[in-house]
Amino acid sequence: MEIFRVEDLNFTYPECSSKAVHDVSFKIGKGEFIVLCGSTGSGKSTLLRLLKPEISPNGEMTGNILFHGAPLSDCSGRRSASSIGFVMQSPEQQIVTDKVWHELAFGLENLGVPASEIARRTAETAGFFGIGIWYGKNTADLSGGQKQLLNLASVLVMSPEIIILDEPTAQLDPIAASEFITALKRLNEELSLTVLIAEHRLEDTYPLCDRIMVMDEGKLIFNGEPRKIFTEIKGDSPVLRGLPAAARVYGLTGGKDDCPLTVREGRNYIEKTFKKDITALPAPAHEAAEKETALEFKNVRFRYSRNGDDVLKDLSFKVNTGEIFCILGGNGCGKTTSLKLAADLASPYSGVIKVFGKKLKEYRNRSLYRECLALLPQDVQTVFLCDSVREELEKCGADTASLPFDISGLLDRHPYDLSGGEQQAAALARILAAKPKLLLMDEPTKGLDADWKSKMKDILDRLKNQGVTVVIVTHDIEFAAECADRCAMFFDGKIVSEGTPEEFFPANSFYTTAVSRMTREMYKNIVTVSEAVEICSLNGRKDDAHDSH
Amino acid sequence: MVRFHELNPAVIALWFFTVTGTAMFCSYPVICFLTLTAGVLLFLVRNGRNHLRTHLFFLILYVILTLANPLVSHNGKTVLFVMNDNPVTLEALLYGLNSATMLTGVLYMFRSFTQIMTSEKLLYITSLLSPKISLVLSMAVRYVPLFNRQGQKVSDTQKAMGLYADDNIIDDITGRMRIFSSVSTWALENGIVTADSMAARGFGTGRRTSLKRFSFTLTDTAFLIITVILASTVIVAAAQGSLEFDFYPEMSGIHPDHTGKAGLAAFLLLVLMPVFKETEALIKWKYSESKI
Repeated sequence: MEIFRVEDLNFTYPECSSKAVHDVSFKIGKGEFIVLCGSTGSGKSTLLRLLKPEISPNGEMTGNILFHGAPLSDCSGRRSASSIGFVMQSPEQQIVTDKVWHELAFGLENLGVPASEIARRTAETAGFFGIGIWYGKNTADLSGGQKQLLNLASVLVMSPEIIILDEPTAQLDPIAASEFITALKRLNEELSLTVLIAEHRLEDTYPLCDRIMVMDEGKLIFNGEPRKIFTEIKGDSPVLRGLPAAARVYGLTGGKDDCPLTVREGRNYIEKTFKKDITALPAPAHEAAEKETALEFKNVRFRYSRNGDDVLKDLSFKVNTGEIFCILGGNGCGKTTSLKLAADLASPYSGVIKVFGKKLKEYRNRSLYRECLALLPQDVQTVFLCDSVREELEKCGADTASLPFDISGLLDRHPYDLSGGEQQAAALARILAAKPKLLLMDEPTKGLDADWKSKMKDILDRLKNQGVTVVIVTHDIEFAAECADRCAMFFDGKIVSEGTPEEFFPANSFYTTAVSRMTREMYKNIVTVSEAVEICSLNGRKDDAHDSH
Repeated sequence: MVRFHELNPAVIALWFFTVTGTAMFCSYPVICFLTLTAGVLLFLVRNGRNHLRTHLFFLILYVILTLANPLVSHNGKTVLFVMNDNPVTLEALLYGLNSATMLTGVLYMFRSFTQIMTSEKLLYITSLLSPKISLVLSMAVRYVPLFNRQGQKVSDTQKAMGLYADDNIIDDITGRMRIFSSVSTWALENGIVTADSMAARGFGTGRRTSLKRFSFTLTDTAFLIITVILASTVIVAAAQGSLEFDFYPEMSGIHPDHTGKAGLAAFLLLVLMPVFKETEALIKWKYSESKI
């Protein structure tokens, strides 16, 4: 059975010369699990919103969208509200009411469903998602992952035929994200619910989906089975940076058939295909020179309230000048708190924090924030106080020319209108105006697509070359592996292990990159995709002599 | 074994409003005294020996209110003594005592009322009146903590960016104002997402219903009927003028007629209903626990 059929769809925003959606045609059948990917600005969101009449953008549209064989525009408001579910990116802003149970009931209340029926359906849905325990709670008290699960549930309660999700996990940490994806997969398998999801982090969704659609500059450039992606798109195309590590290694080493998707399949592919003569890459020369300490925590203890538990328990670490130091760890282990303390936004009840050898107390009259230390918060929207990026930067006397990246294209726009990556860049420009020597960053890759992540890595490298010390707190293991000089694992209020990425990741068996897990039995200290590609090509293929294809 | 605060919010609210309303509009001394006694009893039954400071506060308030009246009002026949050439009368003192009793009694009742009526219960009552107003209130209740939290985040970020350049008050105030305006923009900008989310779930497609989290049980009905019968007895007595009491120039109405007596008896029962309910539940629990 066909739910959606889209024929030659074109869409142009008012006062825009280029089309946001360009000649797109596809079908969606009952029970399919489809992933839509593509970099920011490729037209994913526009396409998804065109499928949901209530929130379709204004603009010029040609072509047909058929819902169950009839034009979507003929569908009644009540029908489209209940049959087409839509979940957006921000967990917080989608919630309407103050109580979890009321949020669940909201959609059904709008449709005028009798109260007894609402009670039955909310109870059922709460049971399915396991949110019965927090049924009576305030929505404001939930964690980000719980909020997004609630958003999904409160759409599901209206029993939709298809659910459309626009980057639902972008704001979540990896654990919450994979829980969310698991819930979606369950819905798809147990209720045969049709799922169309736009994502740029594909590690979790890619192996689960039936079909993948890739968009680039408004066009649908691939629409087919996930394993067949390299039959039509070249392995080094930037569109594919978000694919699972196994698939990327496959593509970059020149594979053209069914690509591996999981760590297990990737491992088998490398073992079967490549020789094992060279087991390690030549180690980069480490300068052993003793360096100055930029940031030092010494036996720091901290708690938020007198009767609370310690958030930081005897935390000690040192960050050297000129290095990029990544602190990794799960939720609520105290990572963000330690950054707050370093920026003097809260004070420990015992222990010492030194910045460039001076205790925080000795930085009088907020001189700490002038040409010394800066903090890029997790929620970068909190950085902006003005109506345009230009105003924001002029007010603080930022010199856009000296920035290690180009933001000239963003200057005249409102900060809130920028995409996640652009916001991050604009906020960073604003923060760097104070010319910090020590930059603290809280989750700089949250909500960024693969393209922006690699841009962020370049920015960090350039900052490092300018002599800036960077401390990053992140969940993003792959990002840390690529950009860090040293990594540390934070657990239960203190740092439990630290080292360079080449020492740190191979020593861990769970908390490590997919590539490290794939290659550890064959090669030594391979952590990132590019390293894996390098060592594979150094070794060469086993069947180079008689290539059957 | 339903306790008073577990009754349907509408029933609870009706009880509170009839009791406090009667006490305020018909300040017959016995009624004021009963309101205060029952108010204190209800508060004690619910909170035990905690909240000592609340009791202390009400006691001081009680004394001040009682003494304030004879100092400003010099009506009345019986002069007790003369202070600064002004007579202090027994009637004025008793009038002060009566209003103090009434006011403290009503305040005690409201203390228990705010403890029992959580925001959720108040929203339930507004949803009985209008589902739309209830939704708006519910959204507002959600936005207040959200707004505060965002304000704190912006403040932290801006502090680390050197917004408050110096430690002085003017700088602090201008900084705070900028943060407030920024959070307002944030709320409006992000409100668009909320609006989309509402539209996507069919808001405005037709008549709304609303899910009620509180059901109306037999106990609720019984409680409601008893409240209405007792309250109407009191109101009838008051309306007929049987519960009128004058302090000035001398006290009159100390001996009410039969209707008045019936009204007072009804009020006694009415005002003690929650205390009965709580004690009943307590005893039943003790009994059933002893069987376990």
